[in-house]
Amino acid sequence: MWFLIDFIRNIMNHILQLFRFGRKTITNKLSIYIKTNTGRSLAVDLDPKWNIKVVKELVAPQLDLQPDEVKIIFAGRELDDNIIIEECDLGEKSILHAVKARPRKKNLDKHDLERNVIEEGIEESSSSKPLSQTLVDLQLENEERENISDELKERSKAHFFVHCSQCKELCPGKLRVRCSICKGGAFTVHRDPECWDDVLKAHRIHGCCENHEIPCVTNDQGDLPFAEFYFKCARHSSGGESDFAAPLNLIKINIKNVPCLACTDVVDTVLVFPCASGHVTCLDCFRQYCLSRLMDRQFICHPDIGYTLTCPARCDNSFIEEIHHFKLLPKQHYDRYQHFAAEEYVLQAGGILCPQPGCGMGLIVGEDCLKVVCQGCGFVFCKNCLQGYHLGECLPEAPNSGNAGSCLYEFDPERAAYARWDEASTVTIKVITKPCPQCRTPTERAGGCMHMVCTRSGCGCEWCWVCQTEWTRDCMGAHWFG
Amino acid sequence: MTSTRRLQKELADLRSSDLKSFKDIQVDEANLLVWNGLIIPENPPYNKGAFRIEINFPAEYPFKPPKICFKTKIYHPNIDEKGQVCLPIISAENWKPATKTDQVIQALIALVNDPEPEHPLRADLAEEFQKDRKKFFKTAEDFTRKHSEKRPNE
Repeated sequence: MWFLIDFIRNIMNHILQLFRFGRKTITNKLSIYIKTNTGRSLAVDLDPKWNIKVVKELVAPQLDLQPDEVKIIFAGRELDDNIIIEECDLGEKSILHAVKARPRKKNLDKHDLERNVIEEGIEESSSSKPLSQTLVDLQLENEERENISDELKERSKAHFFVHCSQCKELCPGKLRVRCSICKGGAFTVHRDPECWDDVLKAHRIHGCCENHEIPCVTNDQGDLPFAEFYFKCARHSSGGESDFAAPLNLIKINIKNVPCLACTDVVDTVLVFPCASGHVTCLDCFRQYCLSRLMDRQFICHPDIGYTLTCPARCDNSFIEEIHHFKLLPKQHYDRYQHFAAEEYVLQAGGILCPQPGCGMGLIVGEDCLKVVCQGCGFVFCKNCLQGYHLGECLPEAPNSGNAGSCLYEFDPERAAYARWDEASTVTIKVITKPCPQCRTPTERAGGCMHMVCTRSGCGCEWCWVCQTEWTRDCMGAHWFG
Repeated sequence: MTSTRRLQKELADLRSSDLKSFKDIQVDEANLLVWNGLIIPENPPYNKGAFRIEINFPAEYPFKPPKICFKTKIYHPNIDEKGQVCLPIISAENWKPATKTDQVIQALIALVNDPEPEHPLRADLAEEFQKDRKKFFKTAEDFTRKHSEKRPNE
């Protein structure tokens, strides 16, 4: 009886050991996955103090290979035997790729031979640590990279920032790379990216794909595939290969200690605008800037980029191209940003917004169609005057429906005038504003001369407060100052 | 808040730089968004008095420009009866967040010293300034004597 239990216990232990594979005791374990090019995936616990050689010894038996036949690939690089795992920026549940090193072909034609020579040359010099550990900050120019003091080295190591949809905030990011054809991560790059364009734009850096037995190629000539860079959030543990985050490329570590253009503080993390002068704001001031522009509806609808802003100093060509930067706004304001962006898009596309309070649905209407039925709230209105639908010409004002004679009961019209939902603001707006003659935005004149410039982005109509038409020289002569 | 941090710094800088044409800066520490101060012009017809101005900073400062208002009556083509002044550097179209209040005040002092009748707020004064300089100076000097504040000890 007892020997039977012992026997079962032995078997259990054996199985458990198989699962853990490795008899080494792990002090501070890191659980990761190892993916092979045969389609297998292993869950492994590693000690951050181990080197890659140990990892190879651990993995090789699982792949029926000798340790020296295994290549470990991570973040665009083949990792050397003597690299320590904790130097690799390897997060919890990251994926390492283990592939069988390809035997060199015996009979190479000349074309292949040349390419192999190049490859080898590069591999020897660059196969070391993963990309994210060796890259110098992409904001530095080439000559600057060469004279970095030791003290600066840690700070000038590439830092990336992402907006993580899982953490819902600005997070440090990790640069990763995959094959642009099969999207697999067992991919080594031929050169380091040197600037943001190398990372953000496609087809700039070649690499070697080892995700499958047959390597991916771009075309029939056998040209090597391009690298596809992407970013992960470094704060939460990796959620597999489909877990990625939007890179916020304008956010940088302030290695040059530039003061914020608005509050003049020197802070550690800044946003550098894409203008020639590279104007800098701290993130608080960036939020404030976005907010003040948003409230005034001063964002600009750019045909290629979307709803965006320029540098606050109004520099040329300074549009923020990655609109995920606006995710830095608090959620309620980001929602408003999206709302306004959608409205501006509808208006630019020749559509109209439902005038019913609380609705505002965007509607694209045919040119000849005057009677519009809102698909959201069902309100039927005239396309020209945005009042309830009517036959014939539009009236200059909405008719005052207070003392209609057909009423069957009596009421005090004066009382009714005060007891209207939302009426007070409508009346105030009507009294103190005049519509921009071009975009009809109610406009208030707070002082100064009669020369009005519509501040609504995309309009900019110059008009006369007195004539309510375009501003002319005659207005200037007759009533510039009222 | 961005505006408070920035205004604190600007105020400290302005006080330590001790401008000779902008003095007696008064700010309620509880509300940094409103500043008061005395403009002390150098050129006639305004060089016999001092003019109190109020600078109003919006909560969105420095992403929106401050507004300047004269609290002392002044006979000037670019400043209207309500004390409003048209200063290009702080107009909505030209405003840049990196512009310091110090620069704004310098621009204002330059405008007070040398009126710009080409961009007037008061067309009648601009016309007088251009056509009958003598009469303009006399009225402006009278105005200064009657309304302006005493210049602080120089």
